[in-house]
Amino acid sequence: MDLNLIKKLVRIVDTSGVTDLEIEENGLKVKIAKKIRNSQIITQPQFAPQSIVLPHTSSEKVEETVNSTGESAAVMHEIKSPIVGTFYRAPAPDADSYVQVGDDVAVGTVLCIVEAMKLMNEIESDVSGKIVKVLVENGKPVEYNQTLFLIQPS
Amino acid sequence: MFNKILIANRGEIALRIIRSCKELGIKTVAINSEADADSLHVTFADEAVCIGPPASKDSYLKIPALISAAQVTGADAIHPGYGFLAENASFSEICAESNIKFIGPSPQMIRSMGDKAFAKDTMRKNGVPVIPGSDGLIPDISEGKKIAEEIGYPVIIKASAGGGGKGMRIVWTDEEFEKAFQTAQTEAEASFGNPEVYLEKYIENPRHVEIQVLGDMFGNVYHYGERDCSVQRRHQKLIEESPSPALDIQLRNKMGEAAVLGAKSVNYEGAGTIEFLLDKNKNFYFMEMNTRIQVEHPVTEMVYDVDLIRQQIIVAAKRKVETKPQKPNGHSIEFRINAEDPSKNFRPSPGKITSLHFPGGFGVRIDSHIYQSYSIPPYYDSLIAKLIVWGKNREHAISRGIRALEEFTVEGIKTTIPFHLQVLQDSRFLSGNFDTSFLDKFEFKE
Repeated sequence: MDLNLIKKLVRIVDTSGVTDLEIEENGLKVKIAKKIRNSQIITQPQFAPQSIVLPHTSSEKVEETVNSTGESAAVMHEIKSPIVGTFYRAPAPDADSYVQVGDDVAVGTVLCIVEAMKLMNEIESDVSGKIVKVLVENGKPVEYNQTLFLIQPS
Repeated sequence: MFNKILIANRGEIALRIIRSCKELGIKTVAINSEADADSLHVTFADEAVCIGPPASKDSYLKIPALISAAQVTGADAIHPGYGFLAENASFSEICAESNIKFIGPSPQMIRSMGDKAFAKDTMRKNGVPVIPGSDGLIPDISEGKKIAEEIGYPVIIKASAGGGGKGMRIVWTDEEFEKAFQTAQTEAEASFGNPEVYLEKYIENPRHVEIQVLGDMFGNVYHYGERDCSVQRRHQKLIEESPSPALDIQLRNKMGEAAVLGAKSVNYEGAGTIEFLLDKNKNFYFMEMNTRIQVEHPVTEMVYDVDLIRQQIIVAAKRKVETKPQKPNGHSIEFRINAEDPSKNFRPSPGKITSLHFPGGFGVRIDSHIYQSYSIPPYYDSLIAKLIVWGKNREHAISRGIRALEEFTVEGIKTTIPFHLQVLQDSRFLSGNFDTSFLDKFEFKE
């Protein structure tokens, strides 16, 4: 086990926007996860009411560097909600989810529903690739431009 | 009482509404466009929902986004503030259909008072003095000319669906009438999609004096005196005061009673303002009714000791108006501080506020959403703060206003603070003897 490699990976996760990292090499699998803090970045003097702020995610692409030997970085594509509403993984409560982590999707594949004012809006993928992460729990509210999925483009 | 209110607005008024909600123990939801993510109303609300990109039409005016935000947060009422959708009948209707209480009038009320010719007719039928004019829309030029002769020139041709000075033509003589009528119609068609016009006597250089009313569902309607808003630039109010230097007790009672009569005749509920024009001879005429809270409401609050936003919420929650009007106490003036450069024809001055100090002390109130290092977004109006002063009388309020404006420090952007200081040195303003033409003759010195 190369401790230096593991130290470097921990540092990468710690200092970047990456929250989960999993690599496998020569039979050794390393998984590093970072807890996401749901806090809004405030640039004015801090006040502390009991705030429940719907999570904001940045609109920059999330970069995931795999290891220190300089292999190619994978750039994630973010799928964002175009509207305010409620996020659903499946077309109906008892139906299967549209997609799971690891699924391959194409341009136009329906990923989820965001319900607003009793209208079910199907959200389609605008890239082809693989679902890497689902960022919102089923049935939770989402705001405009909130990131819903991370897709690794093919 | 409501459990949670969503504030469908931004800036200083959103913060103002949040404050009254907190005092009533009501939870608050702020909504913001992406450009307002760092806004103060977002910080102080209990929850915040981003509803769209910067442009107002895609965010603050986007009804589905607002309703959806109310639904996902479980808000049981929406306060629309002023501007944006505050007088949008569709929004009021959709709120009702979505089982969300709109803190404002019903869609029918908004429609009827928004139709200027109809509103005027309603008031006239109920004994409220109105500007002499045509009885509704003018069918054609010859009918128009007849009415104009009866009223007496000068007259003004106005678009029925209009506002903001569009679709209006002042006519001084009989010969000009035909041309003016045709151009007014064309402009009205182009601006509002409706060429219908009506006719009024043109009152030269009136004072703009409005009466604040509050009504509840039990049929109680009260008035809280007047606000004089004659200091206007291109029909935009810049300084407002209560009481008006032009009114004595008798005139206040007469105008107040007329306003209450008008509001009662339409079973008005909530906060509303009846705008009158006051001519040189102190005759007053109904101009229009605004079925929302107004920007300048604080001066009434200072003089009548009433929280108007709180009363709006209470009345909407099906209760009686809490605060009945007392005798007015003292004098209050509001200065609208805009991010504009008065030395460059009031050109907008968005940007980052590098240094900020609000004035304070006895009799000074600030309603504002700005803070040091805040960047004013360029997408919305330029109002960044309202400075409201109170004094024992007008002279005292003015001297306090000067003191507060001199203390008020904003760096990094241009503001209209220097403009207000110059107005407070103008002899016509100081005399109290001015009308809506005041700023036409006023020159800002650099």
